[in-house]
Amino acid sequence: MLYSLALRNILKSKGRSIITLLLSTFSTILFISYVALMDGSHHQIIKSSVEIYTGYAHIDLKGYRDESGYDNLIEDSAKIEYILKNDTTVKTYSPRFETYALLSGDEKAVGSMIGGIIPSREESLSKLSSSLIKGKYLNDNDKNAIYLGSELAKRLKVDVGSEIAMVGSSIDYSIAADLFTVKGLFKTGLFEFDSQSAFVNKAYLDTVMLSDNIASYFTLYFQDNDKIDKMTADLQASLPSEYEAVNWKQLLKALVQAMLVDSIFGYISISIFFLVIFFVIMIFSYVNIYTRAREIGLLRALGLTSNDIFGMLFVEILLLATMSIIIGTIIGASIAYYYELNPIVISGIAETYKEYGVVSDEIPMKFDLFTITWNALTIFILNLAAILYPISKINKLTAMEAMRYV
Amino acid sequence: MKYFLSLFFITLTLHAGEAQAIIKKLEKNLRGDYMYATMKMIVTSKRGQRTVEIESWSEGNEKSFIKILYPKKDQGITFLKIDTQMWQYIPKIERTIKIPPSMMLQSWMGSDFTNDDMVKESSLEEDYNAKLLSKQGNDATLELIPKPNAAVVWGKIIIDVDLRNAVPRKETYYDDMMQKVRIMTFSKIEQHGTHRVPMVMELKPLDPTKKRNRTKIIFEKINYDTKIDASYFTKQALKRYSR
Repeated sequence: MLYSLALRNILKSKGRSIITLLLSTFSTILFISYVALMDGSHHQIIKSSVEIYTGYAHIDLKGYRDESGYDNLIEDSAKIEYILKNDTTVKTYSPRFETYALLSGDEKAVGSMIGGIIPSREESLSKLSSSLIKGKYLNDNDKNAIYLGSELAKRLKVDVGSEIAMVGSSIDYSIAADLFTVKGLFKTGLFEFDSQSAFVNKAYLDTVMLSDNIASYFTLYFQDNDKIDKMTADLQASLPSEYEAVNWKQLLKALVQAMLVDSIFGYISISIFFLVIFFVIMIFSYVNIYTRAREIGLLRALGLTSNDIFGMLFVEILLLATMSIIIGTIIGASIAYYYELNPIVISGIAETYKEYGVVSDEIPMKFDLFTITWNALTIFILNLAAILYPISKINKLTAMEAMRYV
Repeated sequence: MKYFLSLFFITLTLHAGEAQAIIKKLEKNLRGDYMYATMKMIVTSKRGQRTVEIESWSEGNEKSFIKILYPKKDQGITFLKIDTQMWQYIPKIERTIKIPPSMMLQSWMGSDFTNDDMVKESSLEEDYNAKLLSKQGNDATLELIPKPNAAVVWGKIIIDVDLRNAVPRKETYYDDMMQKVRIMTFSKIEQHGTHRVPMVMELKPLDPTKKRNRTKIIFEKINYDTKIDASYFTKQALKRYSR
C-alpha cells in the first residue's frame, strides 16, 4: 500500500517530482564527469611521464636508486635479459646505461646525462624516437652519433651535424672521451629532460665506457600495465635477490604524490559543492513536505502511524532518487566514456603546464566503473540523507496540528 | 675585578692568536712559492683499486698544472688550474675543455676528491677563524670555523697538528649541518729543503654508501726549490706538455 501511495504522490504532483529528479540527476552527472575529468588529467600526466622515458617498471641492483654511480651497476646484463625474455608477463624491455658526462661544443661545455640505449628497442619503450624534431633518430649500427635534447643543443649552441666532445668517466674510472656528431634533436616537452639528456647507441657507448654487458637498469612494459603492483611483485619473485623490480609508482614518487594532493583539493572543492546541493535538496524537501502538511495530517487521522508516513515519504524519495541516479549515471558514464575516447582539446595547456609533465593539449576523461559506482552511490545516499530531517520534523506534529497547518 | 676581566680577555685573544699562529706556521711550511711533485694516487672503491700516477707543477696556491702519467689509457691528459677555473686537455680527441661550475662537485679522476678540491685555493689562515681546543706537548687540536664571507664548502674543520714538524696529522671535515663528512690523515714526514712534508695523505669519505672508498696520495718526488717556468700556467701548455 505504501508503494502505491508513494507512486500516486509522485505522479500526482508532477512539477515537484520533476524538479527533485532534475536536481539529483544533474548532480550525479556533474559529479561523475568532474571526477572522471580529474582522474583523466592525472592519468594523462602520469602516463606521459611514464611513457616519455621512464617506462612502467625498472629492474636495478638494490642500492642503485640511492646511489646511482658506478658502484651499483647490473654487472651481468645478459642474465637479466634472459630472465625477462622468458617472462610472459613482460611485453618489451631494454637495458640502459646512464652516466653523467661533460659535453662540449665549440664554445661551451655542459654537464649532461648520457644514456646508452638500444635504439630499435627503445621505439616501443619510450617516446624518444617520436619526439624527433630535427635530423634523424639513432639506429643500432650508429657509432659516433649522438641524439640530443633540443634545449641541451641550445645550451651547447650546436645543431644537427655539429661535432661535440664528450668527456666522462669509464666504469673503471679512467677518463672516457670521444667525439660525436649530432644526428638528431628531440623535444619531449619535459623541459628538464630536454635540457639535460643525450643518447648514444649503447653498443658503441659501451666501447667508450667499457660497459659491455653492463647496464644501469632495465626498463620494461608489462603485458598488462594496469595491474602494475601485482606484475611488479611477480617479477620481483623471479629475480635474484640482489636485484629489485620497481614500478612507476616508486620511480615517479614525487609526481604521484603531487597528483594525490591535487585530487584531495579536488575532492575538497567538490564536497563544498555537495554541501550546497545537500542543503538545496533538504530545503526543497522541507518546503515540499510542509506544503503537504494537511494531506499528511489527514492520512494520520485516517489511521496511518508516523512510521507509515515515514515509510511513504521515504519510498517516494527512494523511487525518485533511484530513477535520477540511474539516468544521471547513464548520462555521466556516457560522457566519461565518450571523452575518454575523444579527449577534450584545450590548445595551449601543454605549453603552460609543461614543467608538470603535461605534454599534450588533450585532456581525456577516465572511464572507470568502480569510480562511477561510488560517485553514484554518494549522490544516492546524500539524497536519502537530505530527506530524513524534514520527515522527522513533520512526524513530530500530531494529526490535528498537521491538518491545521497552513 | 677590572683586572681579572682584562686578564681574561687577554688570555682569550692570546689563545686565538696562538691558534692563528699555528695555522700560519703550518701553511708556511706546506706551501712554497713553487712546487714540483710526482705522486701516486691509489683509489679504492667498491669496484676495486686503481692507481694513477701524476706529475704536478704549481706556483703558490693560485696556479697549477697536472699531467697524468699512468694508466696508459689516460696518459697525457693534462689539467690546468688558474685561480678557481679549471681546464682539461684530452689527447685522444685533441680537445681542451673548460670544466663548467656545474661539474665542480664531481669526482676528480674517480677519486674521492672533487674537481672543486683540485681548484680551491682557500687558505686555512685567511678563510677560517682558528681556535685552540687543546695543546699538550707536541700535539695541538684546532677548530677552524669559516669566516662569514669565505667561499668555502665546509661547516668546520678540526685539525690535529704535529707542532714540532708544523704538519697536520689529521683533518676532520664537517658539512654545514655539522655532520662529519670526511677524514684526511697525513703520515711519513720527510725533510725537503726547508720544508717538512707528510709524504702520504689518505682521504676517507664517511658517507655510508661509500664505506669501502678511500683515496691515498703518495708523494714520490717533491721539490720546492726550483722556479717553475711561467709557460706551464697557460692554456697552450695543456697541449704542449701533454706529450
